[in-house]
Formats: sequence, C-alpha cells, structure tokens
Amino acid sequence: MGNLSTKIIAVITAILIFISLYLIFGYARTEGTMLEVQKIFYYHVSAALTVFVAFGVNCVFSLKYLIQRKPDDDLLAVAAAELGVIFCTVALLSGPIWARYAWNTWWNWEARLTSTLVLWLMYVGYFILRSALEGDKRRIYSAVLGIIAYLDVPIVYYAVDIWQGGLHPDRGTKWSLETTMRYTWMVALLALIMLFIFLLIIRYRMKKTEARYEILQQKYLEETSG
Amino acid sequence: MKIAVLASFVVVLALFIFATQVPVDITPEKVSAAVSEAISQSEVPVDEEVVEQAVKNSITILEKGQRTRLKYLAAAYIVIWLVFMLYVLRLGQQQQQLDQRLAQLEQTSNGEE
Repeated sequence: MGNLSTKIIAVITAILIFISLYLIFGYARTEGTMLEVQKIFYYHVSAALTVFVAFGVNCVFSLKYLIQRKPDDDLLAVAAAELGVIFCTVALLSGPIWARYAWNTWWNWEARLTSTLVLWLMYVGYFILRSALEGDKRRIYSAVLGIIAYLDVPIVYYAVDIWQGGLHPDRGTKWSLETTMRYTWMVALLALIMLFIFLLIIRYRMKKTEARYEILQQKYLEETSG
Repeated sequence: MKIAVLASFVVVLALFIFATQVPVDITPEKVSAAVSEAISQSEVPVDEEVVEQAVKNSITILEKGQRTRLKYLAAAYIVIWLVFMLYVLRLGQQQQQLDQRLAQLEQTSNGEE
C-alpha cells in the first residue's frame, strides 16, 4: 500500500474519530438509567469488537503462514496481534470505570469479563513466546498459538449466552438501541476499525523494515567475518 | 508525528471538555417559576419557603450526581486516548531508532567498501 493511500486512510480515520466524538457528546440521546456514563459504551464496545477483527486477522495470517511459509504473513499476523492487545487493553481499562458506576464494583469475575481477560493474557503469552524463540521456530510456534488463542474469541462473544446471569447485557442489546444511539455507535465502531487498519499498515511496514535491517546486518556480519 | 499525536490529544480533550461542560440549565428564575406553579396547583396550603428549599436540595443532589457521572465519563475517555497516544508515540520512537540503525549500518558498510 502506497504512502498516498496510507495518508488518505489516516485523514479518513481522523475525520471519523472527530465525527464520532461529536455524535457521542452532541447528538446521541442520553440513556435514561445510567445517563452520561452510558456514553462510555460507544468506544468500549467498539474497541472490544475491533479486538475480534484484530485477532481474526492474526488467525487468518497465522494459518496462511503455516500453509505457505511466507515471512510477510507472519509479520502481518504479529502486527495484528499487537494491535489486538492494545484494543483489548482499551476495552479492559474502560470497562471497569463504567462498571464502578453501573455495578458498584471495578471488577466482577463474570463470564464476559473473565474470558476477555483470558484472551488478553493469551495474546500477551503469544509475545512472550515470540521473544523466547528464534527464526522459523518462532514463526511456526507463534502461528499455532495465534490460531489456538483465537478459539477464545467466540467464547468471549457468546459468554453471555453460555453462562447466563452475568452482568453484561444480551448480545442483541446494541442493535436494539434508540436510533441516534445506534448510528453513533456504528460511526464509533467504523472509526476504531479504520484506526486499526491505519495502525496495522504502519506497524506492518515497521516490521518489514526491521526484518530488512536484520537481513542487512547478518549479511554485513557474514561479509566482515568471511 | 509526536506533535500531531499530542495535538490530537489536546483537541480531543478540548472537544470533550466543551461537550461535557454544558451547564445545567436550571436558573434561579426557573426555580422560582416552578415553585410558584407547584404552590398554585396545590390543593392544600403549603409553605413557599419549605417548597423552595426542597427544590433547591433536589437540584443540588442532581448536580452532584451529574458531576460524578461526568467524572467517570471523562476518566474513561482519557484512559482510552492515553492508551492510543502512548502506543503511537512508542511507534514513532521505534521508527526513529530503526531509521538511525539502518543509516548507521549503511554508513558502516559504505565506509568499508
């Protein structure tokens, strides 16, 4: 992807973020029970759904790497996993602030929260594994872990159905929101997905430059020692 | 890049403050009007001062609740933005270091040629 396309994506992302913030604070109706605090929903839920997209990209490119063994697929998978962890951190940090007001507790070991924390820990483990290994072994083992870790995504998504009686509302709640709230949430979700795409391009390029540097360095060391 | 990220944070923060600092639209005139209306509609004799005090107390409680909610809202959005901002700043730093390392390697290999 060229520099111009990246710049266009960056501009679209920035515009969408500002529009979403305007919609959140200036357009969307204030919910009747939690009032202003409910506005955390727009970025909290969008970040959580972007996590699924990010780890989905990681899973697809991990699988692709295992089949085709192209190092570029591994680099894209790592970049997506890193962003998944960042978005998951956002969801895990904004959630407790909302929970403190809505549920009167910072944390509750209910199904959705616990499975999300497990998801975050698994991808943190993915990076620990990568830092402990080298070369092909690192790429293969982390690709396998990436695919296994993705199995937790449907568990997180369906947690409220599997373990009923949790504090999170039903999956369908966001679709039955009042019109202004639903549109606002959709724009916020689009903004965060665009932000993910933009950061993914940047991170992937950096990973490629790092790989190029490592090859050049190795070549140089071989030449000087030979 | 650092300036752009910091600027975006400041703009978002300013937008947030602007949007959430909308004053509660309850003026003393409105309070007096509401009290007068309540008294005129009441079928039993009421003490105007007591009603006015009760309304004022209710407003204070409402405003306190709103301030608390806005604090939670502000905290959540600041945390969200901080995570993204710190990540982007770290990316910028890493890119800078990588560029330096590449330039250094090129310089070294050119010097030896």
